[in-house]
Amino acid sequence: MKLLEYEAKKVFSTFGIPIPPSILITSAREASAACKKIGGSAVLKAQVDVGGRGKAGGILMATADDAEAVATELFQKKIKGLPVKEVLVEGRLPIQKEYFVSIVIDRSTRSPVILFAESGGVEIEVTAGERPDAVRSAHVSPLFQEVPGFILRYLTRGCEKEIMPVISSLYRAFREKDALLAEINPLVVTPSGVLAADAKLIIDDNALARQGITGNRDLTEREAEAESHGFSYVELDGSIGVIGNGAGLTMATLDLIAHHKGAAANFLDVGGGAGSDRVLHAVRLVASVPTVKVIIVNLLGGITRCDEVARGIIAAGVSQQVIVRLAGTNEAEGRALLEGAGYRMLDTMEEAVAAAVLEASS
Amino acid sequence: MIYCDKQTRILVQGATGNQGAFHIDLMNQYARSVGGAGVVAGVTPGKGGREVHGVPVYDTVREAQAAHDTDASVIFVPAGAAADSIMEAADSGIGTIVAITEHIPVHDVMRAVAYARSCGSAVIGPNCPGLLSPGECRLGIMPSPLFTRGPVGVISRSGTLTYEVVDELTRAGIGQSTVVGIGGDPVIGETFVDCIEKFSKDSYTKAVILIGEVGGALEIEGAEAALSLDLPLVAYIAGVSAPKEKRMGHAGAIIEGGEGDALSKIQRLEAMGITVVARPSELPQKISELL
Repeated sequence: MKLLEYEAKKVFSTFGIPIPPSILITSAREASAACKKIGGSAVLKAQVDVGGRGKAGGILMATADDAEAVATELFQKKIKGLPVKEVLVEGRLPIQKEYFVSIVIDRSTRSPVILFAESGGVEIEVTAGERPDAVRSAHVSPLFQEVPGFILRYLTRGCEKEIMPVISSLYRAFREKDALLAEINPLVVTPSGVLAADAKLIIDDNALARQGITGNRDLTEREAEAESHGFSYVELDGSIGVIGNGAGLTMATLDLIAHHKGAAANFLDVGGGAGSDRVLHAVRLVASVPTVKVIIVNLLGGITRCDEVARGIIAAGVSQQVIVRLAGTNEAEGRALLEGAGYRMLDTMEEAVAAAVLEASS
Repeated sequence: MIYCDKQTRILVQGATGNQGAFHIDLMNQYARSVGGAGVVAGVTPGKGGREVHGVPVYDTVREAQAAHDTDASVIFVPAGAAADSIMEAADSGIGTIVAITEHIPVHDVMRAVAYARSCGSAVIGPNCPGLLSPGECRLGIMPSPLFTRGPVGVISRSGTLTYEVVDELTRAGIGQSTVVGIGGDPVIGETFVDCIEKFSKDSYTKAVILIGEVGGALEIEGAEAALSLDLPLVAYIAGVSAPKEKRMGHAGAIIEGGEGDALSKIQRLEAMGITVVARPSELPQKISELL
């Protein structure tokens, strides 16, 4: 789950990372007072979870005099489609220099990697592409509790000495908060010290419970309902509803639909060992999207039993046509149940997908 | 075959839970049908002294190991404790550790895998179906009736999609040496590279099918290994039409040198001269051309 800038900054600050003075507002009326409180001249930053927020008009300069007008403008905007509900009013910083520091997981080495560059800001990827030597990186063994001194010295050689404790603290935040990403871009140098001018923190969804976070707000209403049943669910913009078991098989079903020039409306992965009850919820959830014209169910029974799947499909009783491909454990029983109830069964995933695409286009 | 054969003596951690008990039974049915060693011991803390389908259960891996000297462990322990179980198995010197458990926090996985590798153990998974060497050993939860013995190695990040491919191969009369589900999590123990290195040394295996997904660059690294080891390879990458994976900020893009989406992965593989099929049903034909 992604945290918003102000939430990430609050977390970083508890780990001892200096952040600029700021006040969070939820209406334009509060803007002027907030601006005065932090010293008169401020940056108003829309708290929305999108990349390139500045370029999209989500960051505006203001003074106490025009803050309300500027905030009004910001609250009325949509930043890359997202409404602005919260704005962070932050003091303007006398920036002398900018750095980029980020900690992420490198799948290839199975360990965290710290990236550090002397020029921060939004063009960091361009910098990395054009001058790879400008970005310093160091992997940290997952067996270390802290970043060893030699790694900090290597990354920050030739830089202000205040940078080292910031990286060290950021790594502690990364570990202790179960982060997939912890990033400060830019980390700015001012006459009064270094500060995290922006902050990104993404928490591992598998660790939300032990981090005391309930409910993943990155999810839409249907996605949240799906999650409560233990399904993975994604919405797209076609007309075929897709149900599969296992992410790979579900994705492959989606790819075959595209290959046959069809378009999926959504896809749902029921996971392993789904009983009839879970299948019923899955079918109803997928069918609840108004654009779904036909539903394809493609399940391979290992732990999952085909007769249970069949009972779930029949009990769901949705109005759209359901095309079914089932193979594996108790296949014959499942087939008999579905055919008895008038459902269309096909032997292979290819045939089922072709039939669904044809049905959706008719 | 790689990682397991008839001689493999198996430990199951999380032996007394539903899944653990169910699969002890299936693994041993398979072992009996092929004359293999199968599951010889189980571990569940606090349940020592019981039996599950005739298999003795111990409180700790050390006790089980002292009595049975197992070669491989299959872990069904719940997510909160699974990483600890991986380390416990590695600490007792078990060489192959298969973690079936899904939803283990990634920081726990990184630590457990790093520790296991420092002990010289190979971790397969987590969030994987394990592996199966037809006619030899079922080390995990793969549905054995679909499999048949033969010269093709299969390595996959997916579970059910692997069964789909194995089913297609078996129907086409093409058998498998070992089928390995390496797991779908961002951080896993054994990767395509590790499996390909092992397959290249295996006299039964003549060619390998790589089944990949969106995210990361493990497929590219695996294909590079196969090319350098002269191991014939065909790939299928799922997720061409999937919505773009949520990007991990700037750092993720820099680290992975691209976005890890299926299409760019396919293009990179094809540029290396690897055959990539558009549909799983094309795999039997393409792989038979390499045999």
